[in-house]
Parts: sequence; structure tokens; C-alpha cells
Amino acid sequence: MKAGWELKPLRWLDEPVSIAPLVTLRVVVGAMLLFSTLRFMALGWVADHYISPSFHFKYFGFEWVEPLPAAGMYSVHLLLIAASCCVMLGLFYRLAAFVQFALFSYTELIDLTYYLNHYYFVSIVCALLIAVPANRAFSLDVLRNPSIRREQAPRWGIFIFQLQLGIVYFYAGLWKINTDWLLHALPLKIWVPANDRLPLIGVLFRQDWTPWLFSWAGMLYDVTIVFWLSWRRSRVWAYLTVVVFHTLTGLMFQIGVFPLVMVGATLVFFSNEWHERIWAGLGRVSSIPVPRLPIANRPASVGTGMAAGRTPRWLIALLALHFIFQVLFPWRYLLYPGNVFWTEEGYRFSWRVMLMEKAGTATFFVKDTRSGREGEVVNREFLNDHQEKQMAMQPDMILQFAHFLKNHYEQKGLHAPEIRAEVYATLNARPSRLLIDPKVDLGKIRDGWAHKTWILE
Amino acid sequence: MTMLNRKSLSLFLPGLAVLLLFHACSSDNGNGPSDSFDRQAMLRNYADNLIKPAYADLLGNTGSLRASVAAFNASPSTLELGALQTAWAAAYSSWQYANAYNFGPAGEEGLRKGLIEEIGTFPASKSKIEDAILSGQWNLQDFNRDARGFPAMEYLIFGENQNAAEVAGAYVTDANRRNYLAALADDLVDRVTEVSSAWNGPYYDAFIQNDGTDVGSSTSALYNEFVRSYEAIKNFKLGLPLGKRPGQTQTEPQLVEAYYSDASIPSLRIHFSAIEDIWYGRAKNGQDGIGFREYLESVEGGTALIASTETQLAAVKAALAAVPNQPGMSEQIAGDKTALENLYTELQKMTRFFKSDMSSLLGIAITFSSSDGD
Repeated sequence: MKAGWELKPLRWLDEPVSIAPLVTLRVVVGAMLLFSTLRFMALGWVADHYISPSFHFKYFGFEWVEPLPAAGMYSVHLLLIAASCCVMLGLFYRLAAFVQFALFSYTELIDLTYYLNHYYFVSIVCALLIAVPANRAFSLDVLRNPSIRREQAPRWGIFIFQLQLGIVYFYAGLWKINTDWLLHALPLKIWVPANDRLPLIGVLFRQDWTPWLFSWAGMLYDVTIVFWLSWRRSRVWAYLTVVVFHTLTGLMFQIGVFPLVMVGATLVFFSNEWHERIWAGLGRVSSIPVPRLPIANRPASVGTGMAAGRTPRWLIALLALHFIFQVLFPWRYLLYPGNVFWTEEGYRFSWRVMLMEKAGTATFFVKDTRSGREGEVVNREFLNDHQEKQMAMQPDMILQFAHFLKNHYEQKGLHAPEIRAEVYATLNARPSRLLIDPKVDLGKIRDGWAHKTWILE
Repeated sequence: MTMLNRKSLSLFLPGLAVLLLFHACSSDNGNGPSDSFDRQAMLRNYADNLIKPAYADLLGNTGSLRASVAAFNASPSTLELGALQTAWAAAYSSWQYANAYNFGPAGEEGLRKGLIEEIGTFPASKSKIEDAILSGQWNLQDFNRDARGFPAMEYLIFGENQNAAEVAGAYVTDANRRNYLAALADDLVDRVTEVSSAWNGPYYDAFIQNDGTDVGSSTSALYNEFVRSYEAIKNFKLGLPLGKRPGQTQTEPQLVEAYYSDASIPSLRIHFSAIEDIWYGRAKNGQDGIGFREYLESVEGGTALIASTETQLAAVKAALAAVPNQPGMSEQIAGDKTALENLYTELQKMTRFFKSDMSSLLGIAITFSSSDGD
């Protein structure tokens, strides 16, 4: 009896449900990556982000990731376009999904200063897509080989995306529960008036109370939205707020494709019947002979992508590990002393989104220890504006840049250069103050998981 | 379960309504500072009272400079040379008031760089200039920006370690030299005319209408170039000749701005007062208008930043006043550079107020890349 009870959640996860939501997700993610990559190229960002900079900030543990020469970087983006098309159409699906994940993640890992939570999210979704049989209906793979066609898929296939979205939203809301956000309406008090020229809604942004309204509504929204999306009776209204909320933030902030990502991804909360209706409808209007989908849930007679109980246990274990990591990793900030907004130790990969307005000015001093002569670096000589801006407020990037400078000037003939940095940062409109100890030789410090004692409180 | 859900929903929505109402009421008596800063009024002030007059002056003075070049070329005497040098100095002074506005018609476009790079790149390359004259061939649209503009003309009309007779004498026999000088003057006037006409034409309205804070907005463009111009004083006009860069093993007095005319110190003073004017939104004649300072007054934390900025502004001005007019900057750097070192230090202390504090408080986007979404 006991064993049976323990396996109940697993059985529930393996239960066959309609495959339609997975088909929607496959198409939405593929289309979104296609659009995002085309946009990235059209804006000339391949050159700006990967080719022009002479120095790239590395992710801790991924120091080996290097950009390719120009032709290589463009090829990667073209391949990414091809892969996302294949994912969208369900052609050579597993391979395409893997290539899509690998290439997108590669481009993200090249430079830490371009880190965005929503790119991290997209990377995770791409990885999860590899694991699900999303090509077994309404796909070119089915046209090529009708025998793989299924009307159903195990429930975990769609559940993992719901769970992932739930974690993202919930943590995004949870971290908003702090005094700056709720009691001082910061940083929205800075961001809202800066957007008071938006058409129609601009007038709202000129009101004193708007930052408080947005702060509280944003927090409540993030914490509870997955609940409202999951519940059948509130779903349509909740989705409407998803659209409104993300459109609003999309208008206010320079956040690129993010609103599109969320408006697309949250469709996974809609019912199987809803997704089936969509695809059945599309099947009717399109002239392509697409495999039919069941109009309503039927018994598991047709079979699932992976029949119940036959989901490999290693895959279940891998997914379980992923979600344990997702739940625990955002809390690592508790292991570090000080304010996580200031030190940023444990800030990234935790779904802390748009939480603070922070900026810094970092001046680096390089000293030739033989002659004693100390010079001041002009950051722009090595970094683009975006890299400089991100680096100047984040201690781990300051350290990386210091190491780069040490090597650079050592090669230029300076004797055992000593690197100091005078960094002033402002957080949520407070007067700027020293972020790190300006006397410490950063060249002698190694980055690691341990607390950075040279960050000033 | 459904009972609970319905209950939560019925709590959530009225809760939101109460919140809305609460804030709606409290806003009646609150006429807070974030209410109504008029960025269009600020942009209009900058356009009407700072930028357009700066380009008008510059256009007038570069026109006179071209006329002086023509007069000198017609009869290359020391007398005409003196007039030409005076005209160059006047035009270069008015350039200091215009050199911070490298956006819009003065910004980068295709192969053309910002106006400051096209006409203000220093030090001029003596070898490129002399090679062009020797060969009789030049292309003023190419990448050799250190062979045209104000600095190249300065080298040509002041000469290096030459007296006026020697400088003027070189033009008497050398037609290429006269033609090159004339070509530089034409190019200068053409470039300034293009920018000035745009400001007197459609760009003026476009500048004022584009009143957001996003990265393509006028406020962001003006702010970015303001900071860049400020940093240029510290890093290039002072830092480089003072030998402040890592890898420099000594001072390099010959790298000062306006080295041949010895106008470095007056240029620096004018450039700094132009920066100060942008901070205040103040016209050259002292008439104060709506500027970044007033903008800061309207935002969270702005008053504190204004106080720190103006305390430091006073320190910089004191340090600048302590720099003697004579001898010239390159001689001071080679000799007693205490006052210049001190000025450099005070300028460095100012950087963070302009560079990161201001954009952060004003919520101005300064780079193109996407930021985190929520």
C-alpha cells in the first residue's frame, strides 16, 4: 500500500492527456526564437554584441566559451533560425530542438553582461522541449512517418512547462516583497515618470500614486497569476491580464521580445480542449493535409508518445533534479552576508526581475609596481557602452575586468601590475557610494563561490 | 477547492479596487514632484537657447575663417596670417560651445562619424597633412580624420616652432599648400552648414517631439553626449598629456589640445563652461532655463544629487581658476603641473555624478541592448 501511495504522483504524471498543448508550445517557442533571432540580426546586434567587443565577460564555470569569428557568429545565428523553423514545423524534431537549445545557450554564454532572466528562461524552455514528444501530431515528422503520430502524451510533458512558469512568476513576485518595492515604490517611482509620454496611458504615469499601484499590483500579479491561470473559471480573465500586464511593461521598458515570450508561454495553462480546438480549426482552414487531432479527450486507446509507466526513470530523475535546482538555487543569497541588491551575490539565476535601479561608475587604476607609476584606464577603450554599464555595478564583473586589465598591461610591458578600482554605485535613487574597497589589488583576487570580502557594505 | 478559489478571487479583486481607491484619494492632496516635469520644455530650451545659437555662432565664425583663408591665399603675408590666426581662434572658441551635441544631424551616419570626430580630432597628423600637400592629393571624406578639421588647420597656420614669416612664406610658392588649406576651410564650413541647416529645419521639431527617455530619445542622446563631452575634458584634454593612462611612462605635453596655437587653456575653460551651461540649461549669455538640473529637481533623490553635483562643480571651478593662463598647457605639463593635476583630480570626483547617478535617477536608457523583462 505504502509503495503504491508513493508512486501515485508518478502515475499521475504518466497519465495520458491530449498532445495538443505540446504542439502549441512547440510552435510558439519555435516561432518566438525565429522572430527573436531575426530581430537580433536585423538590429545589427550580432556584430555589436559578439564581434566588435575586444573583451567578453565570462560566466563563472563557463570561461571556456568563446565567440567565433564574424562568419562563425553569423552562421550560428543562421543555424539557429533553421533549427527554430524545424522546431516550429516539427521537422527532425529532437535534433532541431537540441540544436536550438545548444545554439541559443551558446550565444547567451558568450558574454555575462548580456545576461537576462528571460533569456535564461528561454534556454530552459528549449532544453525541456527536447524531452517532450511535441512532434507527434500536427508536424512534418508525422507527414514523413505517420506511424509516430499520437493523439496523447504523458501529463508530465505539459506539466513541466507549467511548473517552470509557476516558479518563474512566483519567485519574481516573492522577491518584490521588500521595503523598497512595497513601501517606497522604488524603483517604479523612477521608471514610471520616465514613461509619462506614452500615448493614451501616459496620463496615468503622471499620477503620484501610480508607482505604488504598479508596485503592489505587480507583486500580487506575479505571486498569484499561475494560480488564476490554472483555475478554469478565472483562466480567461487571468490570460487577459497577462496580455495587458506584459504589453504595458513592453511599452514602458526596453525589454525586447520578453512580453511575447510570456504571452506565448502562458498558453500552456489553457485546457486540452482549447488547444485541440485551435489545431482542429487550423487544420480545417489550411490546405495542407495535416494529421487530424482528436476534438475531445478520448481514452488512452491511441497510445501516448511514451506509454504510461514507460517514461524512462532517468528522465524523471533528471527533471526532478532540474526542478529541485530551480526551487533551491534562488535562495543561495541567504548564505552571503549583506544586501543581495548591493552585493549581487546570489542575484542572478533567481528570477529577480526589474527589481532595482542601479548604476555605477568604475574607474580602474593600473600600477607598474617597479616604477610605482599608476595610470587610469578609459573603459571605453575595451568595452562597449552596455558592457561598461553592466560591469560598473556588479562586483564579479569588476573583478573579471580587473584581471583582463592586469593581463593586458602585463603584455604591454608593465611590471607586475597592481589593479585597483574606485567604484561608486547608486541603488534605487540613493546617493552613490563606494561599492568595493578601492585599495585592494583586484589582480590578486580569485573569483569563487565564497563571499567577496572586498565588497563594502 | 473551488470554494476556496472563488473566495480568493472575490478577495483579490475588491482588494485591488480598494488599493486603487486609496491611492486615488491620497493623490488629491499630493501634488508631488514626479507629477509633471515637461521634458519638451527642457528640450525646447536646449534647442532654442543653447544648441541653435552655438551652431549659429560656429557657422558665422567658420564662414569668417574661410574668408580669411581666401584673403591669406590671395596674398600670403604675415599680416594676413595674423588675421587668419585670429579668425581660427574665434571659430575654435565657438566650437567649444558646440562640441557636445554630436547626435541627430551631427551624429554618426554610415561612414560619417560624429561632428566632433570629423572636425575636432586631435592631435593632427603632421605626416598625413604634409604627405597630402606633397602629393597634391587628398580626400576629405576618408578615415584620416586627423588630417582635417580645426586641428589640421591649426597646424597649417600656426606651424611648429616657426615664426610668422616662415609659416606664411611656405604658402607663397606652394600652391598645394594653399589649396589644401582652402579645401579644409570649405570642408569645415560644409559640415557645419549641414548640421546648422538641419537644426534650423525639420530636425528642430523632431528633437522636441521625441520627448521620451528611451535610448533613441532626444533626452537620452543629449545626456549621453553631454557625459561623453565631459569625460573628453578629463580623459583626453588633460589625462593624455598629463600621462595618466596606464602604459604611458611620462607626461606627453605635445598631446595637448590646440598645441600649435597654444590655445589649450582658454579652450579648456570655454569647454568647461559649456558643460556647466548644459547642466543648468543656461544660455551662453547667462540666461537660465530648464535643464538637467531642473529635471533632477523633479525626481526621487534629485535634490541630494544636485547638492553633491554643485558642491563638486564649485571645487572644479576653483581648481580651474587656479590654473594660470601663462605659460601654456604644454609648458605647464613639462614644468609645474600641480594646478593641472589638481584640476584632473577634481574632475575625476565629478564623473560619477554626471555619468551614472544622473541617468539612474532620471531613468534614462543609455544603451540599446534589451534589459530584463518582468
